[in-house]
Amino acid sequence: MADHIVNKRDIEFVLYELNDLLALTKHEKYEGMTREDFDIITDEAIKLCKEKLAPLNQAADAEGCRLEDGQVYVPESFKQAYADYGAGGWIAMSHNPDLGGMGLPVPLAIMMAEISIGACGSFMFYPGLTVAAGHLVENFANAELRDLVVPKMYSGEWTGTMCLTEPQAGTAVGDVATTAVAIEGTNEYKIKGNKIFISAGDHQLTDNVLHLVLARLPGDPPGTKGISLFLVPKYRFDGTGKLGERNDVTITGIEHKMGINASSTCSLSFGDQDDCRGYLIGKPRKGIVYMFQMMNEARITCGIQGLALGGCAYRLALEYTKERVQGPKMTERDPSAPNVKIIEHPDVRRNLMLCRAYTEGMRALLYRAAIHADTSHTHPDPEVRERANDMMELLTPIAKAWCTDIGFKVTELAIQLHGGYGYIKEYAVEQYMRDVKIASIYEGTNGIQALDLLGRKMRLKKGGVFLMWLQDINEFLQANAEHATLAAEISAIDKAKNAVAECAFNFTMMGKADPEAAILGATPFLEAFGYVEVGRLLVESAVVAQPKLDAIFAREGATDDEARRQVVIDNPEARFYDSKIKTARFFAANLAPKAVFLAKTIKTGDRSALDIVF
Amino acid sequence: MKILTTVKRVVDPDAKVRLNSDNSGLVTEGLEAKMNAFDQYGVEEAIKLKEAHGGEVIVVSIGDSAGTKEIRTALAMGGDRGVLVTADMSEIDPKGVADLLAAVIEREAPDIVLMGKLSVDSENNQVGQRVAAKLGWPQATFAFTCEVADGWATVGREVDGGTANVRVKLPAIVTADLRLNEPRYASLPGIMKAKRKPIEELTPDDLGVELEPQLIIQGYSLPPARAAGEIVDDVDSLIDRLQNTAKVL
Repeated sequence: MADHIVNKRDIEFVLYELNDLLALTKHEKYEGMTREDFDIITDEAIKLCKEKLAPLNQAADAEGCRLEDGQVYVPESFKQAYADYGAGGWIAMSHNPDLGGMGLPVPLAIMMAEISIGACGSFMFYPGLTVAAGHLVENFANAELRDLVVPKMYSGEWTGTMCLTEPQAGTAVGDVATTAVAIEGTNEYKIKGNKIFISAGDHQLTDNVLHLVLARLPGDPPGTKGISLFLVPKYRFDGTGKLGERNDVTITGIEHKMGINASSTCSLSFGDQDDCRGYLIGKPRKGIVYMFQMMNEARITCGIQGLALGGCAYRLALEYTKERVQGPKMTERDPSAPNVKIIEHPDVRRNLMLCRAYTEGMRALLYRAAIHADTSHTHPDPEVRERANDMMELLTPIAKAWCTDIGFKVTELAIQLHGGYGYIKEYAVEQYMRDVKIASIYEGTNGIQALDLLGRKMRLKKGGVFLMWLQDINEFLQANAEHATLAAEISAIDKAKNAVAECAFNFTMMGKADPEAAILGATPFLEAFGYVEVGRLLVESAVVAQPKLDAIFAREGATDDEARRQVVIDNPEARFYDSKIKTARFFAANLAPKAVFLAKTIKTGDRSALDIVF
Repeated sequence: MKILTTVKRVVDPDAKVRLNSDNSGLVTEGLEAKMNAFDQYGVEEAIKLKEAHGGEVIVVSIGDSAGTKEIRTALAMGGDRGVLVTADMSEIDPKGVADLLAAVIEREAPDIVLMGKLSVDSENNQVGQRVAAKLGWPQATFAFTCEVADGWATVGREVDGGTANVRVKLPAIVTADLRLNEPRYASLPGIMKAKRKPIEELTPDDLGVELEPQLIIQGYSLPPARAAGEIVDDVDSLIDRLQNTAKVL
């Protein structure tokens, strides 16, 4: 039953073997937490997602959302699911316990995000937007407003949204035209304007929806420096949180989309009757600054969507190729030879391996990022915190763009592995491709991520952050250069890394000579960087796995290749560790060289895309 | 009301279990452990009873020290405290489990004991019955309903060919079938709270129980592989084969 939604063993590997989640429990914030606690949490997370969320996924996709008399209705099944999700404490797992969060390590929240998005991606917009909005209120609102609304958001009583986009202000968020005017004698503001593409913008799941709206105060400068942040409720509330009349927020439409059909994407009109009231969050003109402090979180969550939906599609494809019988073995010459399961065909295996390497690579990348994110807040040593934060800043655009592009690629390969059946709705795999596509577009398109990496992150601390990354990967590669079984893989990653490093240094010159041509290199550069970082983490995984596999072989007395192969077939732990090594080998041989190739293409400085008259 | 419930740590019933090389035991390395499914119904019923009548839920397990995880899960669902009797489960038979459990029950003196009807790994279906016999308590097995009032439990039982209602005087042993309730999930606040609930660890010696297995496992073997079928030409030859070869007609 819905077994394909999670790969628990690999999640545990990444949490406890590739990384050391328990090291975080030495920090004061997590004092007293144990592996047993985390295991119980993992088991309950999987149970909830498999039994309560996964069964909703396909039906909710077919049902979608509807707008009736100014109210959006999402699939009714989501109502109970949202109540269960909130009551279980899953909405704000890693957030402040004083405000109803659970105060758990970030990597566990990332784990729950992976499993629950895989179980029902469109459902997860409601808790996902709520915790993001709640976190903004927690960090920047005054204490009175914070203490009133955040516990209601974290517990699942009310939901939240993020209202940035307007018809003329998408990627160019500085063009926001919504206005806010203080109402004299109150702490309220009158809000007027239109917002579009607002995820979880309205629904019947909870009694109230709190919109976090970017708007301009009178006289503030144009562009991003003149934008402030407001909390605008669907229903007004008093100082005790008791709901009053409906605020002047109109739902003017919902989008009919390619995927995530049960996530309501709303057009909102604020102040049609000139009576829309909201509260200022934090200081005036700081709206974009506040928003960007939440951006890393949101972008990592996008990456998780790539991982979760790609991973589900891969595991469905794996199940399918183990059952579907077509054609005899390719090497078979006898025309009457029996047909075999398609997983025995080399090209099918290659596609499966691509999916596997990409999926495990994304997981390694994102959970490592989660460890950095947590360390940057909880480590007692300020230097370690700063280092972790720098690493996180550098890797965020890669986590977002690489994982959403690759996640999409995996869903596409998984459909291919299903043959014609993959194109049919009954087989469930096509939904993952439709659902994941949006992740490369929102929260800053992947093109924007590439510019962020090249234009901002590579220049952080005058390039010092990139050099820190370089030093870190070099230390790993040097320490394992003579590895008994993985030296070739180490060498492949080293070549890829050198290509990316050389490319990075060339950009400085290119940027001076021909800035527009240099920008053409941003996307391939991000892609290449992703191949290096993911390749490194997969080879690191293999380095961790090798001695554990050897220990099992020794215990089982498997001394020759045949005996070892039998142990790998019979013993699931041996199979797991062996697959880690094979996956790293595949990535190093087939995918890491892409970084070298991409670096070469950047180096050509080709500017035909700029010169052509379209 | 004092309610005692039991949980057993078992290998995930969906996992593929293999025999070890000399067929003396099972290979469980890398396989997941879980709370026995039927015990979840027992725990849920225990918590519901507490919610209705007040009192305390004690969660008891027997096994190696990793079994605190299953106790902790039951405490996160709403149990109050745990007792783990540490023992090597490969050297203990249903009688031994019943002896240990009866000793814990005598110490705790609960008003009612709720257990799973059997464990999904060995499927002996003996412990509840043995404990009741040993203590001289009434028993109601395979429960799909359970009402407690005025010192009596009225239990609907699933039996061959239908259902039966029994009334038992408390204290009594009730074993749960899978239609008894829908076990709740442990919430994160519940899991956090469970960290502070006590789990007492005891040995068979502490309980004054001497384990003398009456059931000794000599070895394991897989059922023989099924022979290939055969396509016959017509109905007459089918009947002939059934009568004369298979001898089933």
